[in-house]
Amino acid sequence: MVHVLVVTEVQETLPSRNTLEVLGAARSLANATQGAVSTVVLSAPVEGLASALFDGGADEVIWVEHPLLVTPEPEATVAALTQVVPQVGAHVVLLADDSAARDVAPCLAYRLQAGLVTEVTAVQAEGEAVVFRRPTYGGRCLAEMVATRFPVVGTVKLRSMEPAPERGARPGQERRISVRLDESHVRTRVVQRVAEEVRGVKLENARVVVSGGRGLKGPEPFLQLQDLAQALKGAVGATRAATDAGWVPVSWQVGQTGKTVSPELYIAVGISGAIQHLAGMGGSKTIVAINTDPDAPIFKVAHLGVVADFKTLLPPFTARVRTLTEA
Amino acid sequence: MNVVVCIKQIIDPEIPAEQFKLDPASKRQVRGGLSLVISAYDQNALEVALQLREKAGGKITALSLGEPEAQGAVKSAMGMGIDAGVLVSDPTLAGSDSFGVAHILAKAIHKIGLPDLILTGCVSGDTGNKMVGPLLAEELRIPSVAFVSRIEAKDGKIVARRIVEDGYELVETPMPVVASILSDDTNVPRYSKLKDIMAAARKTVPVWKAADLGIDPSCVGPGGRRLEVRDVGVVQRDSRCELVTGDTPAEQAERLATRLRELKVL
Amino acid sequence: MPFRELYWNISAHWLIYPLFLPFAVACLYGCYRVLQVVLVGQPDAGRPPLAAQIRVVADQVLLQRRLLAQPIAGSIHVAISWGFAILFVATCLVAAQDYLGVPTLRGAFYLYFMSLTVDLGGVAAIVGVALALVRRYGARSERLWKPRDQEGYALFLWLLLAILVSGFVVEGLRIAATADPWGLWSPGGWLVAAGFTGLSSAQQALWHRVTWWGHAVLAFGFIGLVPFTLIRHTLAAPANIALRRAAASGVIAPVALEDAEHFGVSTVRGFPRKDLLDLMACTECGRCQDACPAWTTGKPLTPKGLILDLRDHLMAEVAGRSSGKTMVGEAVSEEVLWACTTCGACHQACPVFIEPIPKIVEMRRFLVMEEARFPETMQAALRGMENRGHPYQGAVPSRTAWTEGLNVPVLAEKGTAEYLYWVGCAAAFDERAQKVARAFATILQAAGVDFAILGDEERCTGDVARRIGNEFLFQMHAQANAEALNRYGVKRILTTCPHCFNTLKHEYPEFGGRYQVTHHTEFIARLLRQGQVRLTKSLGQGVAYHDSCYLGRHNRMYAAPRDILSQISGVRAIELDRHGENGFCCGAGGGMMWLEERTGKRVNVERTEEALRIRPDVVGTACPFCLSMFEDGIRAKDATDTLQVLDLAELVVRAM
Repeated sequence: MVHVLVVTEVQETLPSRNTLEVLGAARSLANATQGAVSTVVLSAPVEGLASALFDGGADEVIWVEHPLLVTPEPEATVAALTQVVPQVGAHVVLLADDSAARDVAPCLAYRLQAGLVTEVTAVQAEGEAVVFRRPTYGGRCLAEMVATRFPVVGTVKLRSMEPAPERGARPGQERRISVRLDESHVRTRVVQRVAEEVRGVKLENARVVVSGGRGLKGPEPFLQLQDLAQALKGAVGATRAATDAGWVPVSWQVGQTGKTVSPELYIAVGISGAIQHLAGMGGSKTIVAINTDPDAPIFKVAHLGVVADFKTLLPPFTARVRTLTEA
Repeated sequence: MNVVVCIKQIIDPEIPAEQFKLDPASKRQVRGGLSLVISAYDQNALEVALQLREKAGGKITALSLGEPEAQGAVKSAMGMGIDAGVLVSDPTLAGSDSFGVAHILAKAIHKIGLPDLILTGCVSGDTGNKMVGPLLAEELRIPSVAFVSRIEAKDGKIVARRIVEDGYELVETPMPVVASILSDDTNVPRYSKLKDIMAAARKTVPVWKAADLGIDPSCVGPGGRRLEVRDVGVVQRDSRCELVTGDTPAEQAERLATRLRELKVL
Repeated sequence: MPFRELYWNISAHWLIYPLFLPFAVACLYGCYRVLQVVLVGQPDAGRPPLAAQIRVVADQVLLQRRLLAQPIAGSIHVAISWGFAILFVATCLVAAQDYLGVPTLRGAFYLYFMSLTVDLGGVAAIVGVALALVRRYGARSERLWKPRDQEGYALFLWLLLAILVSGFVVEGLRIAATADPWGLWSPGGWLVAAGFTGLSSAQQALWHRVTWWGHAVLAFGFIGLVPFTLIRHTLAAPANIALRRAAASGVIAPVALEDAEHFGVSTVRGFPRKDLLDLMACTECGRCQDACPAWTTGKPLTPKGLILDLRDHLMAEVAGRSSGKTMVGEAVSEEVLWACTTCGACHQACPVFIEPIPKIVEMRRFLVMEEARFPETMQAALRGMENRGHPYQGAVPSRTAWTEGLNVPVLAEKGTAEYLYWVGCAAAFDERAQKVARAFATILQAAGVDFAILGDEERCTGDVARRIGNEFLFQMHAQANAEALNRYGVKRILTTCPHCFNTLKHEYPEFGGRYQVTHHTEFIARLLRQGQVRLTKSLGQGVAYHDSCYLGRHNRMYAAPRDILSQISGVRAIELDRHGENGFCCGAGGGMMWLEERTGKRVNVERTEEALRIRPDVVGTACPFCLSMFEDGIRAKDATDTLQVLDLAELVVRAM
């Protein structure tokens, strides 16, 4: 009987895609063990959110309201959750493995004296234990981690779980838990938020991603990729080599320390295919590699490959794509 | 401003797939003849520390937990210009999980003397874990900021650029604080000067054992793990890549587009 | 009895000595200053033996062999220098008569030498100077005008012309005034005399006297100027040529690092004295510049500019007016230093044997080892060498991956073999170059040669590290490799890479590695001649062989590759414009394989264009870098359908 607590992210008034994925994982785990899924939302009740969460697989929505949680610093989140989790009595606490979780999950696990697994790609119950799978060695391997003591905190790798199948209007309960928080809990302070300009589709949601790597040799060629991405109604990504060199913003990075994407189509241009990059896009349905080096590791994971110089291949390809999509 | 940089020595990850081998008993990578390097993001952290020292002075200490060979990593860090280095190495500590590592590092940092700033790499180059930084901060009861690409120090506080999905945040915290470092075009690790390499080679790195640090044995070693690693298996990848050919780029482009259409992706 | 009156019409000729004195003092002082400047440097390792010095001076200063490599410009210089030498000797011989009574102005000697030969020498010199002026101002030969626009040089030429012409005027006036019966023996003077016959005796005598003293002043002035201007090369160049270093242009001298206080050279005083003498011997002729692949393709590096900038910096430093300018970075920019491919064309072209490469490498050593300030892509290559033993990135799992299916023995298993095939990093890790190793192994097996490879015990020879300036890394590799080779008792090495060849042969003995090293083109040529490999097919292709700098220019090996081509039936060997010792670099040497060229045209594109102009079917190479550069260049020129590049080993296999 595993009780799973899912920490919820809200986008506008709906649960985010990340949360729905986590809920899906939580739901299967709960179903397999005749358990239950609670979700905690760190805000005042939002109209319609609860039913969306129930549809997503939650049995219970817990509202935690506090002024310090309005634009939450990770420390406030941790302090709040540290009080909520024991009250809920969950065995497994799941969060989406996003940028907030990097600070929240470890500190939460520490304070709960709980175990911690990050980047979980699969979770299932085995008797009294819960088994998590996660990538390791840069994505070359998959490790199986077994939790026999609880609670345990897990962060779920984005785009590796499926949201729960829709079941129409589901019943669920709501309640509120109050927490004690004050300034002393929050030592860090966000002074400024700078959002990179995103034109068109957001990388993490794009159906098509066109990425550039070291082979582009500079920022200007990324314009060609943008043309292609536009024609495909997709987004542009980059490897660590390109963002480290300052050619494109860090937020364009796809990979182990960047974004994880799993689009329908991933076109890797001038990318060698280092394992850390594959960690971020390995789940793409169709991978196309364009590289002048036939030896590049990317060709070992791509479905389609062209050994060519992107500078001469992309213009006719983009033109062809335009004709086909307009037709 | 005094800084401690926690570094980890790992087997060079930039190797072709055929050279990667796992030991079925320990579930760890077999070294073979492969070379050992400092985990990439830890190198960025060393660079950040060096740049801060250039601006604000102070002493930088490199701290590593690992096998005796990790002395090489500490010397390598000193070759970059780091002032001093310490290695914690003890067979009883092997197999610790991130909580254990954080505990050990915290004890070592207390022995070194709590600095103003502690840096680690944001992600470990072999396990891919990103927990030690924040856990270390918890052990030391100080704040942490994860995935930081740039740091500026100002009147006893730091302003850190924390990378988030759609951009970055500038986060202000008082010192002491733990920051885990992400790579950026401003923190590319510098090439070592030969003079520094040779000077480092002549120094001896102190090696501390568990007994020197007063470590709680219940949270380290295989017995201290909160989760058990039951199995590690290599992911088999389907290596059937269909190559699209053509005599001209136009022809290749045409064929690629057609093929994608056939696969119903386009 | 033919004779000439000594000092005719010049009664106060003794005045030439007090007149000459200040100029002589100035000249001596100037020479002293130049010597002082040169002595500011570090003591040299040694001097070449006297016999070698005499031989090279005879060759280059008397016969001026290198100068004549450019026939027209060389002839101009021969005319001027020999002409003046003869005139100078003649003047000394006049003094010999004056003081020692040697009858130089009497008899047959007077007619044949002092009159005729000297006159012809003077005429030749005038023709030479006139042509020089035309070359400089009419033809505007670029190597004379770049990188510094020196209008002032004309002054020297005009001064020389004035000295020469005034000399003939003096002679003409004397012949006219004395109605010299042997005037015809001085044809030049005799012609000039014809122009003065209209003057009265008194006028002739007056003008003679005036011109005589004018000529003396001009000549003395010229002598005084010698050490302060580039004319100092008349003294510095023969010295520089005599003291030329014995090592070939492709060999970089090692340096002890253990207790070194500084690495590389960052100030002029850090250079050995020979290098500073180089700077003073430069005539600014620009032949090095014309030959330089970097300058030719629009990079800021020109050997002439480098030497002159260093010279100016040296003089300023010694005079205390360099105002804190750094040598590396300001006097010589870093961009200049990182553009050099160490091809040695500048060494080859220089008539006074100046060596830019050792200076560049020493400055690179400073940047790399002392400052750790050098291009990122080169850093990545060196890091690769430190971590993986080779500078390549990529997916090749081991150094024996290329042997798949070929049954190539590894020394660790075989124990011993007659020849060790040193594969090198390129042939092991670069997919295109692997084909060369396979071709060579195939040939060796067909010939029944007993050979083996080191396999994964091989590490990069370190050539790249040394040329980039990381001497430390080079020495570590050299020591490790020499140990491995000596452990197996290796005596004979074959290699498919000229860089490995050059380093193993010339730079490894310093580290205890003494082997007989043979490049694969030499070996294959031998196998073919001895009939150990039979060629049965005819290729029917036009092949242009591209000389590798490290095989050709640095090691003077031009014949063996051409010999191979001549033994393949159906091959039509075509020579590229710039071939043999004038070969043009592919652009990859000196660590440039790991540096993106951001300025000007890419060197390999320039060379590929040159190849395309003569329309061969195949470019033949003997070096994996050249191969890679041509593959890239052919792709860049979109010529993959019309031109192929193949290593000579690959060509031979195709004919087997």
